Amino acid sequence: MKVVVCVKQIPDPADPGELDPDSKTLRRDVKLILDESDSYGVEMALQLVDTAGEGEVHLVSMVPNNEVSGLRTALAMGAAGASLISDECLAGSDALGTAKVLAKAIAAQEPDLVLTATESSDGYTGTVPVQIAELLGLPSVTFAKEIEIDGSTAKVKRQTEAGYDDVECPLPAVVSVTAGVVEPRYPSFKGIMAAKNKPVEELTVEALGIDAGEVGWAGSRQDIVEITAAPVREAGEIIEDEGDAHERIVAFLDELKVL
Amino acid sequence: MYEWSEEHQLLRAAMKDFVTREIVPLKPELEHGDMPPYDVLRKLYRTFGMDEFARTEFRRSIEAEKSSADEATDTAVDDTDRPRPRPDAGYILIPIIELCRHCPGMVTAMGVSVGLTASAISSRGTIAQKQRWVEDLVTFDKIGAWAITEPGSGSDAFGSMLSTARRDGDEYLLNGSKTFITNGPYADTIVFICKLDEGNDRSERKVLSFVVESGMEGLEQSKSLRKMGMHSSPTGELFLSDVRVGADHLIGETEDPVGGGRSGAKSTFQQERAGVAAMALGIIEQCLELSVAYARERVQFGRRIGDFQLIQQKLAHMELARMNVQNLVFRTIEMAAAGESMTLAEASAMKLYSARTATDVALDAVQVHGGNGYMAEFQVEQLARDAKVLQIYAGTDEIQTVAIAKDLLD
Repeated sequence: MKVVVCVKQIPDPADPGELDPDSKTLRRDVKLILDESDSYGVEMALQLVDTAGEGEVHLVSMVPNNEVSGLRTALAMGAAGASLISDECLAGSDALGTAKVLAKAIAAQEPDLVLTATESSDGYTGTVPVQIAELLGLPSVTFAKEIEIDGSTAKVKRQTEAGYDDVECPLPAVVSVTAGVVEPRYPSFKGIMAAKNKPVEELTVEALGIDAGEVGWAGSRQDIVEITAAPVREAGEIIEDEGDAHERIVAFLDELKVL
Repeated sequence: MYEWSEEHQLLRAAMKDFVTREIVPLKPELEHGDMPPYDVLRKLYRTFGMDEFARTEFRRSIEAEKSSADEATDTAVDDTDRPRPRPDAGYILIPIIELCRHCPGMVTAMGVSVGLTASAISSRGTIAQKQRWVEDLVTFDKIGAWAITEPGSGSDAFGSMLSTARRDGDEYLLNGSKTFITNGPYADTIVFICKLDEGNDRSERKVLSFVVESGMEGLEQSKSLRKMGMHSSPTGELFLSDVRVGADHLIGETEDPVGGGRSGAKSTFQQERAGVAAMALGIIEQCLELSVAYARERVQFGRRIGDFQLIQQKLAHMELARMNVQNLVFRTIEMAAAGESMTLAEASAMKLYSARTATDVALDAVQVHGGNGYMAEFQVEQLARDAKVLQIYAGTDEIQTVAIAKDLLD
């Protein structure tokens, strides 16, 4: 069984840098790391391959430069190899442009299953997984909390606000995995040492047969009109205990209707 | 080497993640309670495959040793020359650095067990002794302690040593008291260093090392001693009263090891000193990060304190220290990769500088934090207490200074 996992390399949320005032997007000329949202998909894929007893996990990622450090993290966890679409013309790609590029790279791998996160931690559009499925003509299941492979069928517990739905679809399919549903493994020493020698195939947009005008700023159908700093969090109310603090706290929570 | 490699950075990120998720939440219990560090250290070993790796390497080294000892080497299966991925010294030092950012005591507990104790048996022991004790130590399945210090002997470890071994038929009777023994209260396997009492003058006695095991009749392991810092490293006393052991417990099974009994202990000192630089780097990095963040946020006289030059001076000195100690760590990694090892004087110089610098930086970090820095809630207070022992254990600053000067003058 071959499972392709889409992974994004993003600026470290602990040191996110700044927004580019011209493009109104996050500067990406810093060290990139594996998006934590994607680590759940990688873990899920590794578990599925382990359960199947055969197969491999392959990563697909795109960046405007040739950054691989985030990919190495997923390779150290146990993925067998990666395809990195690295091309300057990808800078400024919107969700659909991203989906077109990823779909082409995924198709070349002929996977049995494609896993993604539900959304990236820096873009948050949450639309790329279903766009990939549409472009590839594959079934799409979103918000998976559990996946079981039964022959040529994927049985998915799909998380909902009320609980979960049991969903089945034929393989291959594109399934987005909800963050937090599995515990991503730490890469072992052996995995870290092996990661540097695992194959990372670098591809250009042209090599995928995509016109550069369809992606990046040139192909983007969205225009970021304005960016505004998030409002500073207002100071909370400090309640000094004069014997009635518990009553005032209860009243405050009651007013918020959280009791 | 002037920067961590991509592989090192990946390892650092993974270790940092583990420490943040698995150890930091336990810090109140580890640092201010009585939680021993061993379960979480074992989890570290299992999680990163350090135990399996150590086991494999140990068994390979035993096979290689057996083969070289075997006259029929040509027929033996020996895969030691087969290329295989081997970790560089960064794989030992990076976990030390990342652990020391939060719990330097855990490194002390780990290092004494898998480093000092295992090395003391490995470097001089017979193959049978290594198989019996070392494998479980390097995988952290068992906890080790290395017992040299006594109530009356610290820096003058051999000269003032009172612990004895007396022959009794084919066996030995061990007696003595040891103190400040890392892992002492919990150790399964203890290297007990003593002098062979043949009725001769103490200064003429041979230094011998024995392996004693928890539960042996006559061995008493004390509760943990209360210390200034390193609270996540249990330290205790050992009392041996006529502990009877066979010659199979005498490391090397000879009273006349190559180089003498003291050389084994001295080679252990060298290894111990090199590890202190990595410990210092972890403490310095954390103190610097916390101090810079605090200097950016703390406002006094209407300005952030980082705008005051006296605070800037402290931060600049901390950065200088970080760069210097990091370069010493890089040197250790490069020398190991080149198959070189430091002289005892070089290791002493590195230890002396790193330990002093870590203490200075940690105390400056407390000063930058002002009253908050003196409070347990702010981590620099703990790191300042922890750093101080780096100037004391593994040879005091004064002993390191003498070793360096002796090397220059001899």
